[in-house]
Amino acid sequence: MRIGIVCPYSWDVPGGVQFHVRDLAEVFIGQGHDVSVLAPADEDSDLPSYLTSCGRAVPVRYNGSVARLTFGPVTSARVTRWLETGGFDVVHLHEPVTPSVSLMALWAAEEPVVATFHTSTVRSRAMHAANPLLRPSLEKIRARIAVSEDAARTVRRHLGGDTYIIPNGVHVDAFDVAPRRPGWTGTPDAPTLAFLGRVDEPRKGLGVALAALPAVLDVHPRARLLVAGPGEADDLLKRVEPRVAAATVVLGAVSDADKASLLRSVDAYLAPHLGGESFGIVLVEAMAAGAPVVASDLSAFVAVLDGGRVGVTFEAGSAAALGEAVVGLLADPARREHLSREGRDRARTFDWSRVSGQVMAVYETVLEGAHAELAEPPRGLWSRFVRSVPGTGGS
Amino acid sequence: MSDVDILQVTTFVVIVLIVAAWYLSYAAARLDRLHAKAEGAMSALDAQLVRRAEATLELANSGALDPATALLLADAATESVERTTEHPLAEDLLDGQHFGGREEVESALSEVLSVTLTDDVVTRLRADGDELVDESLDRIASSALRVRMARRFHNDAVREVRRVRGKWVVRVFRLAGHAALPERVEFDDDLPSALAR
Repeated sequence: MRIGIVCPYSWDVPGGVQFHVRDLAEVFIGQGHDVSVLAPADEDSDLPSYLTSCGRAVPVRYNGSVARLTFGPVTSARVTRWLETGGFDVVHLHEPVTPSVSLMALWAAEEPVVATFHTSTVRSRAMHAANPLLRPSLEKIRARIAVSEDAARTVRRHLGGDTYIIPNGVHVDAFDVAPRRPGWTGTPDAPTLAFLGRVDEPRKGLGVALAALPAVLDVHPRARLLVAGPGEADDLLKRVEPRVAAATVVLGAVSDADKASLLRSVDAYLAPHLGGESFGIVLVEAMAAGAPVVASDLSAFVAVLDGGRVGVTFEAGSAAALGEAVVGLLADPARREHLSREGRDRARTFDWSRVSGQVMAVYETVLEGAHAELAEPPRGLWSRFVRSVPGTGGS
Repeated sequence: MSDVDILQVTTFVVIVLIVAAWYLSYAAARLDRLHAKAEGAMSALDAQLVRRAEATLELANSGALDPATALLLADAATESVERTTEHPLAEDLLDGQHFGGREEVESALSEVLSVTLTDDVVTRLRADGDELVDESLDRIASSALRVRMARRFHNDAVREVRRVRGKWVVRVFRLAGHAALPERVEFDDDLPSALAR
């Protein structure tokens, strides 16, 4: 099958949507499909052969934060050329209402369109503004996928209607077989905990983890918190007790292999996020590596943890509750063992082998419907004029 | 002076008429495409339902199941196959996309599949290593998954058609022609948990 995938965010910057698109494309290529990805990217950088750049991304203020997007006539022309030369059976757009290249592709596409919605921002002005300017284009989408119940709810609130939920994928085996690092492995009297994510983004909750640490150190004075992720942690560490700063090991940004090893080694993975998470892929990665998960009770996290069954959840933002949960878990090796085993099992649900199969089933269902439609080419000049309004799917 | 006025007014009226005609044709074409999408989604749903029933019959007739289970499955699947052949979809499509009252039959098949193909039964069937049985289980699983998807995509297309048809321009100028108003299709499409992975 010839598949065209469009990613609205800059390929050069790490992010959930970008990783999802990359993995999906590579899995399908591995299965023998013909895949081309269109995304904003710096053409000088080392790009995979399946990627077509639609130009360099520009940082713009959008929906309350700065996003790296592309727009403008040059990009628009590139999108049209990519679609024309691609000859795709199906075009899969990610985040189609972001004012970037996905939206342009939706506007221009004549192929059957599948769209995946990732965000669960409550205040998604973009989706709201989408009415009624984008309505006719949105009607071209034949199948709408949401990555979680939270993302589906956002779509329902702003655009109305149903979505089919297909979760994000993880290469489970890569985490399952990662080697343990002696320096990161905990012992009964010196347990290790892991935090992953941008350290200077309050939403990721490092502050909560640091505030919970004193309670843990009271019971386990030699415990360590290993912090992996980009950003400056100095400011945060300056404000905490000296023993907490001493127990915190800042690793900085780590490679995928190191991340897997870290999760394989520690006694527990902490996800103290405060909100704004629509899925929680790191939780799946931690489970795949066999790390017991202690997570805030965001609805997306509870869903990934199968209703909270395969992890420990605590009230989001409460350092006291996190401290108590961690102390309780460290005191109970049998429970850790149990969570680790159940978590590995649960992570299988999110393995790419299963997730890609479901995405392919969506493509096939959509194509079946598209082929069943009567192909009626427009007759006459007027008819062509009427049908060729950009963004309405005319041909 | 009055000549110019008449010319101006005529030009204005002609422009308004052209714009109005264009808008009406555009709205009709848009609605037409939405109808086509809903019909396509319905026929995809139908095709998967037929596949599911056929695969179920195949499993029932394979001899790998006990006679009671086989009979339950065969009964529900035959009902579904018969309803499709008695009320061919082409007819439904022409008189406007009705599911032909098949909801109950398809719900019944979903239910029987869930009750009979429990985790234990499927594990045992898989362990036997019979290629034909394995294949029919795979086909039931894949078609049942696609039924779930197709039904949602269809209902979403129906929502869009109904929204556009609710507009006053569409109603006043009868842009929908004789096409009947499509309806959502609601039935139990849960997969047996053993086949959901």
